[in-house]
Amino acid sequence: MFNGRIIRSCLSVVVLLALVLSGCGGSKQEGGAASGQGDKVSIVFWSAPNPTQEKFWRTMAEEYMQSHPNVQIEVAPIPESPSSEAGILTALSSGSKLTASENIFVGFGAQLVNSEAVVPLDTLPGYDELIQARKAEAIVADWKYPDGHQYILPLYSNAMLFAWRMDILKELGYAEPPRTYGEILALGEKLKAKYPDKYVLTRKLLLDPNSWWERWFDFFILYYAASDGAPFLTGTEVTADRDAVMKVMRFLQEMNQRGYVLTNAEDAFEQGLAVWDVVGPWALPYWKEKYPELKVGENVVFTPPPVPDGFPSDKAPKTFADAKGVVIYKHASEAEQQAAWEFIKWVLSDPKHDRQWLEMTGLPPARGDLTTNPEFEPYLKENPALARYAEAVPTGVPPIKHEKFVELHTRLGETLMVPVITGQKTPEQAFDDLVAAWAEVLR
Amino acid sequence: MVARRYYEVRGWLLASPYLVYTVVFFLVPIVWALWLAGMEWNLISPRRTWVGLKNLMEALGSPRVWAAFINSYKFLLFFLPVVLVLAVSIALLVNSLPWGAHWYTVLFFLPYLASGVATSLVAEGLIAVNGPLNLWLVRTFGFRPPWLESPGWATAIIVALIAWKFAGYYALIYLAALRSIPRDLYEAAAIDGAGPWTRFWRITWPNLYPATFTVVVLAVGLMFGIFTEPYVLTRGGPNLATHTWHLEIYHQAFANFRAGYASAVALLNAVCTFVGVAVVRWIMQRWGRAHGYEA
Amino acid sequence: MVTKHRQLKIAALYLAATLAVIPALFPYLYMVLQSLAPWNEVERVIWPSKFTLRSYVWLLTGGDTALARPWLRALFNSFLVSAADTLAVLVFGAMTGYALARVRFKGARWIQSFLLFHMFYPSIILIIPTFLIVRFLGLYDTYLAMILPKAVSVWVIFMYATFFQSVPQDLLDAARVDGAGEWTVLTRILLPMSSTLTTVLGLVVFMERWTELLWDLVAVKSHHLMTLNVLLTTMKGPYGTYPGPLCAASVLLTLPIVIVFLIFSRRFFSGFQYIFR
Repeated sequence: MFNGRIIRSCLSVVVLLALVLSGCGGSKQEGGAASGQGDKVSIVFWSAPNPTQEKFWRTMAEEYMQSHPNVQIEVAPIPESPSSEAGILTALSSGSKLTASENIFVGFGAQLVNSEAVVPLDTLPGYDELIQARKAEAIVADWKYPDGHQYILPLYSNAMLFAWRMDILKELGYAEPPRTYGEILALGEKLKAKYPDKYVLTRKLLLDPNSWWERWFDFFILYYAASDGAPFLTGTEVTADRDAVMKVMRFLQEMNQRGYVLTNAEDAFEQGLAVWDVVGPWALPYWKEKYPELKVGENVVFTPPPVPDGFPSDKAPKTFADAKGVVIYKHASEAEQQAAWEFIKWVLSDPKHDRQWLEMTGLPPARGDLTTNPEFEPYLKENPALARYAEAVPTGVPPIKHEKFVELHTRLGETLMVPVITGQKTPEQAFDDLVAAWAEVLR
Repeated sequence: MVARRYYEVRGWLLASPYLVYTVVFFLVPIVWALWLAGMEWNLISPRRTWVGLKNLMEALGSPRVWAAFINSYKFLLFFLPVVLVLAVSIALLVNSLPWGAHWYTVLFFLPYLASGVATSLVAEGLIAVNGPLNLWLVRTFGFRPPWLESPGWATAIIVALIAWKFAGYYALIYLAALRSIPRDLYEAAAIDGAGPWTRFWRITWPNLYPATFTVVVLAVGLMFGIFTEPYVLTRGGPNLATHTWHLEIYHQAFANFRAGYASAVALLNAVCTFVGVAVVRWIMQRWGRAHGYEA
Repeated sequence: MVTKHRQLKIAALYLAATLAVIPALFPYLYMVLQSLAPWNEVERVIWPSKFTLRSYVWLLTGGDTALARPWLRALFNSFLVSAADTLAVLVFGAMTGYALARVRFKGARWIQSFLLFHMFYPSIILIIPTFLIVRFLGLYDTYLAMILPKAVSVWVIFMYATFFQSVPQDLLDAARVDGAGEWTVLTRILLPMSSTLTTVLGLVVFMERWTELLWDLVAVKSHHLMTLNVLLTTMKGPYGTYPGPLCAASVLLTLPIVIVFLIFSRRFFSGFQYIFR
């Protein structure tokens, strides 16, 4: 049917193609490096893998290149394999071209700082002016490293909120969502009585220790509320509020034992299978495209995290803030670093750009004047959901600032979350195990 | 003399691509891996510290590594009988079809072509809590299995996915063996009045021994190298029930950035696979010899 | 009476075979149906109430929130990487197999026993150092990073060597007397003889390369270089999932390989019978 000649000619075409293409791949990179040495500077900026953020940076880069023809900016999303942090480290370790990126949180920043991979931004010209322009002096203080330098420029701060399915709650006779653990367990009873196959809380990766970042959105968010923001780790010492941890873990255990928690389900909240979920502002554009029937303020309501029974009702609970910033990488050439810094300054010093950012991504910019600057006021008024996030910014507590964050969070999942929630260990015992496990990692 | 030298050079020349490849992508990496296994290094930092056997010791005491070790045998224990029964049944069925056997073989073989990523995604959608299968189960029986939330089900699903993929492929190996069994053996048995059941156990199954040997050794290698299905579906959960060697190595090296520790784990994996395959080969050979086969 | 019984038996056989084939094909059917379903029915019902191309359009052009990923490029990348590796594996396999089987030279024996060691050595231990070597060679994030480390298959060398050993010596001697060099003997005599074997080996290597995930996940980072398989896994991000487009992408990943296989299936099966005889 197929004689050797056909196969042979097919194969030779493939060889040629392969040779030509691998040649292309190589020469492209060389071309990039060469143009960096000439008078035209080319830089590579990596945006968060969130599509809306990618769109924002692309828009900014195009605008900037029009007024700065000597700069070539390539914007690409950070490859997530298996997390954006891993994507950046792999790129840095391979020495491939990467000048600056966003999406850096303090813990990962610590790893970059200790590996001498990032530029101290406070030594660059115009740094102080930029911070002043953003009224971000107080915000920046949280991001300082032990050597007194500032390596990350805070870009946005998502104080995480919980979302409730108000349409289902109303059917159960609720006018507003429950606030305390006790009230939520009571709601669970009513929900299960009416809809036995619905759940209260859904967290897809609640029991997956390898998805370490999920601990921000299931453990830390509850812990910071229950402990009023008590730091979990200070330096290399666990300084957690033990009592608050016990309350949080007992609550999660009880929720799971009663069958109120749904794991491993995609979009269960959006589809009304569960009534409660942790939601970041990035969900809003996603809902708009995929679940246009969800209307914030009508069938969906945002609240701060729940609190233990007896928590003062006049006090705003703290929450976890998913805060990320921009860094410049040391292995880029001097000229590239400078060009990147000029670009970042240009983007972040103009409140109009922050407004554009807010409109495009829905993430609250890390500016001290977010709720007071007239630039943002009309937009926040039109978008009450976003206004809720903007208001919550002061209650946000940033993540743990330690370079071994992956291992710490993985251990947190393995030794505390999974055993307690599945009822294999008591919270007390599991917490002691966790402190021991962390001490081993931090030693 | 000239001819001899000519052969010498030609031989080495022809083998040279393999030799170069082996040096660059096999020998150097092996040595490098051994060295890395004693190193504490995150792949980018200029600082790397020699820690000797610490990584290896830590790996030996890690519940994650133990889970990977035990799971590889757990997967094998479930996978082997399932896939053997499926493959032999498919082969027997196809072999007994008077016509159209080719197209049935093609259809049974198609799952082998599927990427683990695609099938895992399909499986994930199919068994999603709010997916079509569960909706139907809840409507009909008022109940749904806890699928990926329970260690047992999660293991079963991963085994099923891999068995689904490889059953048709292994059946092909059996089919080749079936067709080479001499017909007169069956005719002789028929004269003796043996039923189909007896004929299978007396003639077919012993004659399939070389195929079984191949399949078992392939399956063992496969079970020590599972990655794609749990990576997409369970990420090793729940509670490490579907954690595998490759998942642990990938997690430590490219998520946790402990290149040294990951190399130590990889070293253990290599030793376990080596020993595992050797033990299974030994068992199979003894079993074969007991039935008059030398493999 | 006997024939009627026999007819019934044959009918039952076909019924059983057809029933058994359904589970083998169902996931493919499901994938295609889901990729064509309206978004509010994806992964809720098996047979959608109507068909739409929204998932494919979204995949190729992007949505309100998402930018399009280079799916067609990824399809091409998968083809390029798989084809290049298949070719390399076959060429190098035949060369080495020939050298080991038919060229008498000092060291052949040594290489042969090393080959066995290499074949059974679990390659996972090599992934980190291989990554470091690729990085050292400056190949990270290029096609070559995906192609080179998979350019040789010990199994293929072994299969070729075994086959070449079974070729009668007279045939080769005759050719050599006529003045044919090693290369001519290999390409003009041995390779045409082994075309069935080549088809089987080539298809198996191509299919395995096509579904490779772990190494490609490590070897490249740019979207425009990713293979379909890798690009597909990056779609499962924390910023919401799109099951319809995921199924569409799965179809894109599976369809080409099925077509390639169907074209070669007859040759493949006859060759397979031969190898596992």
